[in-house]
Amino acid sequence: MERQAAYVCLSLVIEKDEKMDEYVIEMKDIVKNFGTIQAVKNGQFTLKKGEIHSLIGENGAGKSTMMKLLYGMYPIDDGEIFVAGKKVEHLTPKSAISLGIGMVHQEFMLVNELRVVENIILGFEPTKGLTIDFDTARKNIRRYIEQYHLDVQMEKRVSQISVGEAQRVEIIKTLMHGAEIIILDEPTAVLTPQETKGLFRILHNLKEDGKSIVFISHKLNEVMEISDRISVMRQGNYMGTVDRDETSPVDLTKRMIGREVFLNVNRTETTPGEKILDVQDIWVSSHKETSKIRGLSLSVHAGEILGVAGIDGNGQSELVDAITGLRPVEKGKVILNGVDVTNKSPKKIRKAGLAHIPEDRNKRGLNRAMSISDNLSVVGIDENPYSSHMLLNRSAQHENAMEKIKEFDIRPADYTLPASSMSGGNAQKVVVAREVSLGKKLLIASQPTRGVDVGAIETIRNTIDKAKKQGAGVLLVSAELEEIMSLSDRIIVIHDGAITGELTAAEANETTMGLLMMGNAEEAKKEEGEAV
Amino acid sequence: MMKVIIDNFSNIFNITLIYATFRSAVPIIFAALCAAITQQADILNIATEGIMLIGGFAAVTVSYFTGSWFLGVLTAMLLGAVIAMIMAVGHIRYNADICGIGMGINLFAVAFTRFLLKAVYNTNGAFSDPSIKPIPRVNIPFIASIPVIGDIFNNWTVTEWFVLILIAFLQFLFYKTVWGLRLRAVGQFPEATKTAGINVTMMKYEAMLISGVVGGLAGAHLSLGYSVQFVDNMTNNRGFMGVAAMYFGGANPILTSIGCLLFGLADSIGNRLQAYGIPSQFVLMMPYIVTVVVLAISMAIKLSTNRRKESSLTTAAVAEEAGS
Repeated sequence: MERQAAYVCLSLVIEKDEKMDEYVIEMKDIVKNFGTIQAVKNGQFTLKKGEIHSLIGENGAGKSTMMKLLYGMYPIDDGEIFVAGKKVEHLTPKSAISLGIGMVHQEFMLVNELRVVENIILGFEPTKGLTIDFDTARKNIRRYIEQYHLDVQMEKRVSQISVGEAQRVEIIKTLMHGAEIIILDEPTAVLTPQETKGLFRILHNLKEDGKSIVFISHKLNEVMEISDRISVMRQGNYMGTVDRDETSPVDLTKRMIGREVFLNVNRTETTPGEKILDVQDIWVSSHKETSKIRGLSLSVHAGEILGVAGIDGNGQSELVDAITGLRPVEKGKVILNGVDVTNKSPKKIRKAGLAHIPEDRNKRGLNRAMSISDNLSVVGIDENPYSSHMLLNRSAQHENAMEKIKEFDIRPADYTLPASSMSGGNAQKVVVAREVSLGKKLLIASQPTRGVDVGAIETIRNTIDKAKKQGAGVLLVSAELEEIMSLSDRIIVIHDGAITGELTAAEANETTMGLLMMGNAEEAKKEEGEAV
Repeated sequence: MMKVIIDNFSNIFNITLIYATFRSAVPIIFAALCAAITQQADILNIATEGIMLIGGFAAVTVSYFTGSWFLGVLTAMLLGAVIAMIMAVGHIRYNADICGIGMGINLFAVAFTRFLLKAVYNTNGAFSDPSIKPIPRVNIPFIASIPVIGDIFNNWTVTEWFVLILIAFLQFLFYKTVWGLRLRAVGQFPEATKTAGINVTMMKYEAMLISGVVGGLAGAHLSLGYSVQFVDNMTNNRGFMGVAAMYFGGANPILTSIGCLLFGLADSIGNRLQAYGIPSQFVLMMPYIVTVVVLAISMAIKLSTNRRKESSLTTAAVAEEAGS
């Protein structure tokens, strides 16, 4: 009995050794908590030399966290990390870099005010005497530009280059730091389809050259195109690893979400009524050239959802800000409910009939330090029943909070807790519950399900549809094509701050919309013609 | 008042105004550079005023007791560094608000030097004595003999020459060296700097340390170079004016110093006007009015450039121009 156990142990050890030779990275039984939230419960990951390994999962599945742990951005709470077969402890970004690990973050780690060349050499500056040797730096960078087709303009400031170019700057940075393992965190989220193709070519070049690549994504078609192996995570747990050739999008979906059906949202057919929102030829400023709005018009009727599709940063945020009074309209008019609300204060616009689910709930949707109850009643806080004669009516606030918590299944169900104690999905439910229950004529929902778990997505989408059924006009802005297509009655596509096309729900398909999102109206028309 | 200025125009605006302007500007330049160093790391060193005051007292005291101006200046710089380090530990390690600590240091400095003035020299208000050794002046006979140049450049104190070197040195340090690049990166996007493997905390400590040394030097120059005495609250808000000039120049050493020269000009014109019967209260107001006006104008320009750059009504080419 004892001997047998020893034998089993021995064979395990041998097996382990063999594996270690094979993998450049091995992460075992990883646990990571942020306060009360368990971001990673059971994380497993391996990476072979010269492969492209995709790590996929829904928002909040823990995939980014896993890779940030590997890059040493936070310490792990439990588990083991092996790099090239050797166990490493107390990883920091600095030690990760020296182990040959590089990471391209979702939010670029570039200093906007500095030039591209300065950003690339930061931390690894070549010197000549006392000064930085920019000639050598440029020569080194040019080598990478040529070898991997990573075109960048070295003398421009980062604030002046496109997102795709900034990403290439990030990749060169990791290579300059001697990375053999490159982690890319949702690299395609900010790219146009063409830029994505360019990125994939670069990744192939890197792979041919023997670099190992981790590709984090939740876009299945991209993952199927680029990967050698695919690992899936769901709610902080490892759900297995498969070879690309042995899986299918359906199989991956099942692993990612835990069920086959995507989402149970049924669009209600309604007859649009009177015009609620009329945006007439507005011009809006922006710090980015591509998101400036130069003459845009649209209208939303009662009982319809108008979807605004487009790649992030093409003026969607500016459009919403302009309508809601958070950014000045330089020219043109915004008519809400028959009232001219152009450049009125947000409060006056709300009085005229606006409810607004802002795109960044932590910045504009919630006060994270205040209680769930306060957050649920804040919009009407200066009116009955929440206050009278300058005094707050706490019991009315609490009643309202209890009602909403029950109706929307908000957790934790304790309304005295601060908003910061909720997960992304529940926090967003608080915003949605507050705005929708106002029963206003116009509901603007901007990226309503961003960074939200699947259960909450379903609740939120159904709530928006319900608002429409009850007669509200809805302006839905989202970067998720699938969300736009499943909810909207009419869809407009926006590119470079201008509308490139308008479609009915029936006409919309991913190809046409993809082309419109790239600003390619003519080709989209052709495509449409062929489809008919 | 305009009549007074017009009548005495040649007496007020003559060649000696150039040195007078520079002379009043130098203490502010030192203070502004002290603030600029930390500002590059995104730390607002509002304690410039207090560091300067304590530095000034230390310089006079050491010079008085040892007879060495050099030891006095050195002590002031050392003390400046110590105060800056106390602030750095509070701000960087214990996350205390830098403005809170800074104002605390400023209030402490006024009270503490007043107390020491009484305790050490048994005097209220001011202390001056022939045995205080001042920072020497550089007398170059060759230059003194040239008419205009001699008026402007002769007889500067050592620290007045040194401020020019310091401006050039910091300009070089910020924009040409590895340390400067890293410092600016720390100030603009610490997260990015951290992921590049740079020790952000260490960089902040280093910036605070150098800032403290320069702040101490500012005080020493004020009490041993600009004048030879210690007066209760003698910095008289020069530290704050330095901070204002730093904002004016965007923490760029050369632009910042130009801002200080504006204050110096206002100060010396004010002094000259006093001789022609303009009320002293008005004269004393001048530098502060200039501070407000200069800051308001520079911020207004910045805002309108920004607005033009962001506007949708301008074409891309115009926006590009506004940005460059």
